Amino acid sequence: MGREAILKSIKQNKPALLPLHEINLEAFSEEVNLLDTFKSNVELVGGTIQELKKNENLTTEINKRYPKAKKIVGNSQTSDIGTIPISKETEPHQLENIDLAIIKGEFGVAENGAIWISEQDFPIRVLPFITNDLVIVLEKENLCLHLHDAYKKIAGRERSFGLFISGPSKTADIEQCLVIGAQGAMSLTVVLI
Amino acid sequence: MSHSEKAAVFNKNEAKVNWHDKALWYVREKRDNAAHGVKGWEYLRELASGIKANVLSNLDDYLIEFEANALANGIKVHWASSAEEHNQIVSKILEDKKAKKVVKSKSMLTEECHLNPYLENKGIEVVDTDLGEYIVQIAKESPSHIVLPAIHKTKEEVDELFQEHLGTTPSNGNPEYLTNEARKHLRKKFLQADAAITGVNFAIAETGGIVVCTNEGNADMGSHSAPVHIACMGIEKIIPKEEHLGIFLRLLARSATGQPITTYSSHFNKPTEGREMHIVIVDNGRTEQLSREDFRASLHCIRCGACMNTCPIYRRSGGHSYDATIPGPIGSILSPGKDLTKHSSLPFASTLCGSCSNVCPVKINIHEQLYSWRQIITKDVKQPLVKKTILKIAGVVLSNRTLYNIGGKSARFMLKYAPRFMVYSKLNAWGKARELPEVKNQNFDDWYKEKRKNNG
Amino acid sequence: MKVGLFIPCYINQLYPQVAIATLELLEKLNVDVYYPSTQTCCGQPLGNSGYEEDSKGACQLFVENFKEYDFIVGPSGSCIYHIKKHFDILEQTPEVVKVRENAYELCEFIVKILGKTEVGASFPYKVGLHKSCHGLRGLNLGSCSERMEPHYSTEEDLLNNVKGLELVKLNREDECCGFGGTFSVFEEAVSVKMGKDKIKDHLDSGVEVITGADHSCLMHLEGLINRDNKPLRVMHIAEILNKTL
Repeated sequence: MGREAILKSIKQNKPALLPLHEINLEAFSEEVNLLDTFKSNVELVGGTIQELKKNENLTTEINKRYPKAKKIVGNSQTSDIGTIPISKETEPHQLENIDLAIIKGEFGVAENGAIWISEQDFPIRVLPFITNDLVIVLEKENLCLHLHDAYKKIAGRERSFGLFISGPSKTADIEQCLVIGAQGAMSLTVVLI
Repeated sequence: MSHSEKAAVFNKNEAKVNWHDKALWYVREKRDNAAHGVKGWEYLRELASGIKANVLSNLDDYLIEFEANALANGIKVHWASSAEEHNQIVSKILEDKKAKKVVKSKSMLTEECHLNPYLENKGIEVVDTDLGEYIVQIAKESPSHIVLPAIHKTKEEVDELFQEHLGTTPSNGNPEYLTNEARKHLRKKFLQADAAITGVNFAIAETGGIVVCTNEGNADMGSHSAPVHIACMGIEKIIPKEEHLGIFLRLLARSATGQPITTYSSHFNKPTEGREMHIVIVDNGRTEQLSREDFRASLHCIRCGACMNTCPIYRRSGGHSYDATIPGPIGSILSPGKDLTKHSSLPFASTLCGSCSNVCPVKINIHEQLYSWRQIITKDVKQPLVKKTILKIAGVVLSNRTLYNIGGKSARFMLKYAPRFMVYSKLNAWGKARELPEVKNQNFDDWYKEKRKNNG
Repeated sequence: MKVGLFIPCYINQLYPQVAIATLELLEKLNVDVYYPSTQTCCGQPLGNSGYEEDSKGACQLFVENFKEYDFIVGPSGSCIYHIKKHFDILEQTPEVVKVRENAYELCEFIVKILGKTEVGASFPYKVGLHKSCHGLRGLNLGSCSERMEPHYSTEEDLLNNVKGLELVKLNREDECCGFGGTFSVFEEAVSVKMGKDKIKDHLDSGVEVITGADHSCLMHLEGLINRDNKPLRVMHIAEILNKTL
């Protein structure tokens, strides 16, 4: 079958072994303000930044921002705002009409406004995509400069499913006009605490 | 039809050519801006190219490593030598699961294998869920660009298509409205789907995981909603280590659309509990391309489409003029490896300007490979007699100074004294839109003999 | 230093004024220039059309003609690029290697080898520079818009020192003009469209004279300009650098 034929053909056709070079990360180091860079890149990719001040309450601020949201999925790590309980057993289609999901972000990447979230932060994989609006709560201290640093941070994780998410879903497939809100979440608010 | 014939048809509508050129140039400019923002961009390209070269030189071992790790994570792995085998494998998985409704996110590989018609013939509904691909699917066309599949369509054309297929109200091509209508329609499809098919951007040997990148979220909506996820990948999608993603993800979206990263870069390492995940590893001519020393670097490609956006010919001839799954410069070096005769005009659809090689994030020497394909095609594919004869004669004349003198004089004589209707005849493609150079009384040889004594 | 003047076939036959300007300019710069009278062509039209094999005779003749010179200088970036890049089809004898190593495009020779950017020219016009692809991306005569590198340009260095000359910035500074050798006839429609777009960019930017270091591109643009009676002139950069107006 395919496997042996393919491997044999590769063996016959590949060139002599070429080395894998070391990556000189010095070439990418920059003195930038991580928080400012991160914030401006989140906005660049269509997200919204909300910095929580000391006297502000997360739940109140989310309610203010999404006053119409009724069906909300939260979890204890972030806030008590949730109205829909979910678990690993929840079927994806039960989440069809979710208005808002709140997820804890693990860390942000300054160079591209992306935030790493993983299955540990949301019990059902489809949640951050199927929800109409998405809030990611992120600690300001948890920022790194670029993806090279980011991969160092997640190197030791339990690997099942995780992603870098950068802004709300979007498309420019109709005449290159940018439209926010394609098949995934219509908006992304990053709440910095 | 050859590329030049199709391109000539495309050029009948100059306003559309201008529009197409401008739309893609805009993407090229966004790419430039994004790349300028990255310290060490050229070094990143070098690293990426080096990693891909290493991958190709050790591909069998990496694939074995990848398979072992994926299996250990509970992913089922399949191997397909050809498009036919690939389609059979996918079809069998669907059959076993009694899957009748499939949602698919962007995968140039499944386009290459013509998976959709194969499955549709077996009574399976396949919905392309990337908006651009959805548009070309309902228009019964093929993608004209690998990142922007419907770039050849105006918003008014999309409006009409949606009225017909989705029952939308006329909106003068309002992109927000049309996108939202597609969203509503596709959401239903995601939730009803029995299986989801996605492509693979990167497959990591070290972990057995794959990464899928989208802006729309369609690959995730599909793969997390449906009970079965099938990811299809060419053998060349392998990268050795996860840390290498830091390099490739920094390059990919910036090169493709000028974004710093795609909205979603999803890392699949294990199937969802209680669900199935399959990976189909496909050759379909890739190992043959690997054997061609001059052309194997074409397998570095990460499908960003930057070479299309920068190519002055692609922008002015449209993706469909290439009549290949992958159009543009990269397609013109990949396609001849698959079917030399069918695609023999593609390596000539270039001025060899080299812009493609300069934007390529993995530094494929595209324009040099185009030149090399030309040398092969003139030997292996029957050439138009006139072209062949003229160039063969030129070879003889240019290597013989006496013949060259006679040739030069007679050509100049003809240009100078032949009546205009003869010079600007149908045979003269130059003269259709261009004047020929005005012939002076002397050529430089004559002038030099007259004015300078110290002949070399 | 003995310099062999390489005049590409089409310049010899159709644009003798470019060859004359090149020669006079080099003489003005006190270069000891020789013109081997049995030269023909570098073989590029054949190679680019896929008939590299048939060009070997022309390439070999080229080497014979130029092997004795310290430098080979020609007013055509793409021909020089062809010699440097594609003479790999010949057996790499010391002569072939020497010829490939010492072939220079005119501007590059003046700036790099002679170390001059001021050649005493004056030309009081608005000039648009056409950076031909083979000179730019092949010979690295300047920085390319695709690459993230500091800006530089051999031709601009020379033109900026021409008295009265105003160098105009284009919208797309280094897009191909669409000539491409036989591409210009086998892909006629796209070639013409590219040329027209290029000319429009120059006109929109207020250019009076288009110049460049590769006359084949300029021949293509000139053909379009003359057919459409556009208010533009085309001159090889050697002609401008040789002018004292």
